Amino acid sequence: MKNVMKYMLIISLATAITAGKGLAQKAVRKTARVQVEYFKGPDKTENLVATLIVKEKRYVPFGEAMLYFYCLNDTARILLDKIKTNDAGKAVLTVSNNPKITKDPEGKITFIVEYKGSSAVKAAQRKMAIRQGDLELSFFQKDSTKSIEVSATETGADNQRTPIAKVNILFYVQGTFSLYNFAKEKTDENGIVQVAFPVDMPGDTTGVLTIVAKIEENRTYGTIEAKGEINWGKPIQPVKEKKRGLGDTDAPLWMVYTLIVLLSAVWFHYLYVVYMMIKIKLAR
Amino acid sequence: MELDAKATRALNYFIPQMVSISKSGMVQVGILLVFILGGLYALVVQIVEGHIVTGMRDNVVWGLYIANFIFFIGISYAGALISGILHLLRVEWRHPIIRIAEIITIISTIIGPAYILLCMGRLDRLHHLALYGRIQSPIIWDVLAISTYLIGSIIFLYLASIRDLAALRDYPFKQKWRKKLYRFLAISFNGNAKQNRFLERGLTIMSAIIIPLAVLVHSVLAWIFGMTLRPGWHSTIFAPYFVVAAVFSGTGVLIIALWVFRKYYHLESYITKIHFNYLGIILMILGALYGYFTFSEYLTSWYGSETWDMEVLYKLFDPHEYWWWFFFSAILGVALPVLVILIPKFRNINSITAVSVIAVFALWVKRYLIIIPTLETPLLPLQDLRPEYIHYTPTIIEWLLTFAGVALFCFLFFLFSKFLPIVSVVKGEEGTNYAELRKKVMQRVLKRKIKEEKRKASQKLQHI
Amino acid sequence: MEKGKKKQSRRKFFFKTATAAIGAIGGAGLIAQSCETKKESGETMTLLSPDGKLVEVDKANVAPARMPAHGKNARKGIPNKKFVMVIDLARCRNARKCVSNCQKMHQLEPEDEWIKVFLMQDSDDTAPYWFPKPCFHCNQPPCVKVCPVGATYKRTDGLVLVDNERCIGCKFCMTACPYSSRVFQWKDPGQGKEDDENYSPETSVPHKVGTVGKCDFCPDMARMGKLPTCVTGCPNGVIFFGDKNEDIVTNGTESFRFSELIYDRAGYHFMAELGTEPNVYYLPPVDRLFDYKKGFKTLTPEQAEFYKKSIVHKH
Repeated sequence: MKNVMKYMLIISLATAITAGKGLAQKAVRKTARVQVEYFKGPDKTENLVATLIVKEKRYVPFGEAMLYFYCLNDTARILLDKIKTNDAGKAVLTVSNNPKITKDPEGKITFIVEYKGSSAVKAAQRKMAIRQGDLELSFFQKDSTKSIEVSATETGADNQRTPIAKVNILFYVQGTFSLYNFAKEKTDENGIVQVAFPVDMPGDTTGVLTIVAKIEENRTYGTIEAKGEINWGKPIQPVKEKKRGLGDTDAPLWMVYTLIVLLSAVWFHYLYVVYMMIKIKLAR
Repeated sequence: MELDAKATRALNYFIPQMVSISKSGMVQVGILLVFILGGLYALVVQIVEGHIVTGMRDNVVWGLYIANFIFFIGISYAGALISGILHLLRVEWRHPIIRIAEIITIISTIIGPAYILLCMGRLDRLHHLALYGRIQSPIIWDVLAISTYLIGSIIFLYLASIRDLAALRDYPFKQKWRKKLYRFLAISFNGNAKQNRFLERGLTIMSAIIIPLAVLVHSVLAWIFGMTLRPGWHSTIFAPYFVVAAVFSGTGVLIIALWVFRKYYHLESYITKIHFNYLGIILMILGALYGYFTFSEYLTSWYGSETWDMEVLYKLFDPHEYWWWFFFSAILGVALPVLVILIPKFRNINSITAVSVIAVFALWVKRYLIIIPTLETPLLPLQDLRPEYIHYTPTIIEWLLTFAGVALFCFLFFLFSKFLPIVSVVKGEEGTNYAELRKKVMQRVLKRKIKEEKRKASQKLQHI
Repeated sequence: MEKGKKKQSRRKFFFKTATAAIGAIGGAGLIAQSCETKKESGETMTLLSPDGKLVEVDKANVAPARMPAHGKNARKGIPNKKFVMVIDLARCRNARKCVSNCQKMHQLEPEDEWIKVFLMQDSDDTAPYWFPKPCFHCNQPPCVKVCPVGATYKRTDGLVLVDNERCIGCKFCMTACPYSSRVFQWKDPGQGKEDDENYSPETSVPHKVGTVGKCDFCPDMARMGKLPTCVTGCPNGVIFFGDKNEDIVTNGTESFRFSELIYDRAGYHFMAELGTEPNVYYLPPVDRLFDYKKGFKTLTPEQAEFYKKSIVHKH
């Protein structure tokens, strides 16, 4: 993640410098930068996420700004959409099933995201080319060894699927707050990779674990994610509420009994004394 | 009710003091009222502004209020233990002092918990104790124990006052409310044998039950501190230590009260040197016991020299921090009363009272030294730039409320003395009853012996 | 007037954090379960969900961003979770971002710190080190034991929380806590009505005068699958947080098996001898990334001087 950020930083800085050369005298305008990332989720939706940042003291997200999304077709730029950035400076274009998006003969899609600038902020743009990849995740058991298999394929210009070879696949266990990386393997010539299932990881109470396989921030394919669930983890004991104890809602029983015995002993005597008073009153 | 000559004389002596007040008395009550009003003002300020007006902060979350709380609950022991034990033992000289002792108990058991309330951030949620009370918490133990103790003390005082109330009911008062009140409270007591028997039974039960109850109340109070993981608090001897300290201070306050009332109401014929001597000796014994506990407590933690304990000890022994207060409260305030009373040459009414004053004041300081230095020494000391968060200094508000508590204590005592003779007027019959009982028992033993002898004699006869 | 302004700015702040938090990548479907529907403002805004989808929401539904459990639900834990924190003392340089983030999240006064950074030294001859200390959420919490009304309570997910609508302000828990983790509201914080329906023990806001507050591990964030704010705020990844049951802890960028991390780095409990069984573990300050003196840079000279003087000796 950090590496890609750095990489994008350099690229966009370079573009910003070259783009801004002609406007050098208007130095008062702030420098803007566009960062573009491509995501394909486990539900196969594809999104292009563009982030617009502006240089104040450091770079900060720039919200409420219009970003223009283009697809490069041969030499023409086809406008896909105009989207305003949110407060985090992000604008998201849905790529899946967009008929305006076309691939070049090599199977690449080239996007251009442009910020046209304003009186206060300089214009910025960024170009990104990706290939449409896909991950399939499956589980299988041979004898007693449990494994995960992932096959990576890409869809070319002619909608033919071909395997992606020698690409890094990262394997994660889905946690509450993060993904825990337990394996990293390259695919073979058939675009297939197998890793051992992390059987010592605790799952939920029935042992269900969510496994995530990813091609992560790849220069050609962006980020592609596949997900699968299976009950091969170690089941955990369901957490039950402790009923009685010093730190619980109800007191330990010996405490309750002691208290009742003590209080009732004292109050019985009080009542007896009150009874004596009544007897005094009656014995006049 | 028929009164003997002595009781009639006493009644005639006390009643004028009850229904009127002298000019100097007015001035004294006025001064008390000024202090109480000062306290009320402080209370209003604290309620409006919040606890920020006190010197308490995140480090020292309990301050003067809690010290006062322990102090007042401590002196409440005067009545409970002294009058309970003396009653059970049928000590003859207890009569003139027992009423004062019991009044001390009740007033201080009312004022003490008031300081807990002052220390609470949300008085408006007091009912949560009933709604959500958890009996694992020592605070709940305290609430239960103190309320039970207060009610027991009131019953005890009331029972012990029924004879006097009956005498007052028969006295021709001018004020109608007094007549009505005494008639209501005297529950038709006229001193017949049956009533006396019931009354004695009640008194014996109450005096027996108030003793363990009093011990429990102060143990529970000590456990509020003892149950926490704090240096200087987390000690197994805390409960008995607090109990002994409480009886010590209670006896001291009792001696002071006796002296004051003796002077104020000219009770020289009722409260005599004997009372001071006996109470003085009790004070001495308790002082020695308390000194022993103190020595044991600090010797143990000093010898073990665990870092936590040592940090508190260093503070107590540091002349720039608490040494002089510690010296006064743990050494001088204990040694002086013990030595003065120990040596018969020094033992007189005024000297006994003087060392009682020292002992009582020393014990108040000791309570302060139990609370503050420990709270200023958490296991993980705060690194806070605000000095008031590290060191505790009581504010004027806290002092005002402290003085108001003492003033209220005196004022309630004064009110009580206007309503009941401060010394019990009508002696119970239990003295003669006791003698009769002895006689009866002896007779029974004698009879049994005679029977035995007869039986043996007849057996011998049969043998022959 | 003052108060009104303050409130307004707070709401604004709320709104900003909300959008920023939602906009950031990572996290779970906040929008899907939009809280109590307030009056629709008609104004919509577009937000990005963690998996890159765009969602249109009414602005009124976004603030407040935090959707904690209320009432009885706030007393139960998040099912089958056991939250733990691991603090890597080798990485801390007293950047104090955990402190400031926590103060922002819990609307604390600048002096009140629910996570504190101590300057520690185990004995005179050993090296000083910085020691961030949140509430330890002990498994045997002394504070919960002594609470007379159950205002502070232990949940099944390991958290120790304070219900400021029940607290009577006796401060017993503050004397019972051996780690000085608790803070009292000595004066009215002026944060709106007493019976604020937004109040939850899971967010601890708005604060109430005369009650006790402390670090709550941000459980409302955990409900959304987000890390506590001290974790995300730390620039050096000092603080790891996670679920002990799933054995994963993370500081936002790195994830470890909890058991492996503790085993490999010899994680320990602070003052384990007290028997409180904390849910916060420390990794010893060995092979430190920073000289402890670096930590003085974030302090004013006055503060630095104070810290040097009042260095805490661990017992």
